[in-house]
Amino acid sequence: MPGMACFERASPALKEILLKLYRNEKPVELDHHLHEFGSVEYHIQSSASDPYHTYLSISTPLLSHGVLHSNGFSGYTIEMVNGICSDVVEIVEPAREGYQLTLRLDFAKIPQGKESVKMITEISTVQAVILSSQLKEMLRTVSSQDASQGMYKPIKLVYHPREPFFVIKQPTKITAVFPMRFKENSDVIIATAFFQELMDVGSSKAWAKVPPCTWSAIPPPELRGEHFEDLSTNGGFVSFDISSHHVQGKKLDKTVWSLLNFYGFVKYHVKCTRGFIQRRMRKRLESLVEVLQKASIEEDQYVKKVQGGRCVKKLVGFSKSKILRQRYDFTNKIKKLRSRIKIRGFSRFRRRWLKIPKFSSMTRYSKLD
Amino acid sequence: MANTLRLYLTCIRNTLEAAMCLQNFPCQEVERHNKPEVELKTSTELLLNPVLICRNEAEKCLIETSINSLRISLKVKQADELENILTKKFLRFLSMRAEAFQVLRRKPVQGYDISFLITNYHCEEMQKHKLIDFIVQFMEDIDKEISELKLSVNTRGRLVATEFLKQFI
Repeated sequence: MPGMACFERASPALKEILLKLYRNEKPVELDHHLHEFGSVEYHIQSSASDPYHTYLSISTPLLSHGVLHSNGFSGYTIEMVNGICSDVVEIVEPAREGYQLTLRLDFAKIPQGKESVKMITEISTVQAVILSSQLKEMLRTVSSQDASQGMYKPIKLVYHPREPFFVIKQPTKITAVFPMRFKENSDVIIATAFFQELMDVGSSKAWAKVPPCTWSAIPPPELRGEHFEDLSTNGGFVSFDISSHHVQGKKLDKTVWSLLNFYGFVKYHVKCTRGFIQRRMRKRLESLVEVLQKASIEEDQYVKKVQGGRCVKKLVGFSKSKILRQRYDFTNKIKKLRSRIKIRGFSRFRRRWLKIPKFSSMTRYSKLD
Repeated sequence: MANTLRLYLTCIRNTLEAAMCLQNFPCQEVERHNKPEVELKTSTELLLNPVLICRNEAEKCLIETSINSLRISLKVKQADELENILTKKFLRFLSMRAEAFQVLRRKPVQGYDISFLITNYHCEEMQKHKLIDFIVQFMEDIDKEISELKLSVNTRGRLVATEFLKQFI
């Protein structure tokens, strides 16, 4: 069953590289480019001449375009990035060319022991922090004055280039709409079954506190007027209504992360279900074949009991090589049967006692001298 | 087992018992050829009338008989889209591993989901009543498996949905 553990905030590759750099006793020269999800790029630079500082540059697609700084990030995002291990991390202005953000990491300030791994893991979450801060900013304004003035236009958020989703601000809530697309028809059906379960579970009394979830095959009315390519889906549209109590305090972080990973979550579930079906089919195949094999064993036993001359072959697959091998064994047996029996000293005995006089054949022509 | 299913399977069993009287019969058209007549259909006198047994519109079984071979084609019920893809996936999976079953046809007859081809050689190698048992049990198992798979997929979906919604609490 997919758990959220697989959707880690920290980039595993970035974490590994930073940990290696931190654990290296000697300062090393490093210039590493790292790509993630096809659109996120990291550049890690460390030089032997400046052993205390490592530079981490990041380029990530923006969720949406609001009030932006020169680097493309809003003030809130910069504030959030500054909040990551503020003793160790420092934003470098301007950022390296081709990147939106460059961070200077001072490994000397990282304490020894387990704390170091924790801090480096936190630094590796920089991309997740940037992304979630943008959505957080929008969700924080659910009950503010700004929303009540009637900004109903959907905002298109692109977490992954092929998987945009929409956020629609309404007076008392924010609606997140996910157009769902899948490559295969079977995936659509598995996902649809999941969405129906999601709706069922969400609408039950026990889950009254979670955001109401709806699934429809046609675009919801809020998305009227959007581009045709954004509204053409094969998996329908899933909407979550986020109210103010879903974004209070610590819940905000969880809600944002769940929404950002909804696509990943659904795709992971579909993939796992396909694997589950395959495993089950394999198991079932074995039991079905067993019915035939079992019958053949019983037949063998039956033949042994009766001791009759009837030959019942085993019900197994006859491959070509097996047939050839059986034929070879059989001809060898026949050859052995037909070959002369050798008795030691018999040839001498035969020469002495069983000597047959030579006769010239009557039918054969013999030359006359 | 549902009463209608029992009747359906009994009817198929009886028909198979009657139809499975196969004998070695070389091809009449081509010398030194010995092929299943039910597939080639070279001579009409070697073919018997096909029997179609229907439980309902979605579930049916076609039994075609000839002098040296027998072809059984099955159409499995598919109540909804999920059952449809599960049935397709499963039967395709089995057809691709047809060598494990010996009597399974790699491609089903048009209009059916899965087909078996039993020749006189199969009848010589295996016991007739056990072959019939196998076909009937196969039909029962497929039905059961599809229902269980559907249930499992829905249960998994429900559990995953619960896990997802838990994050909002």
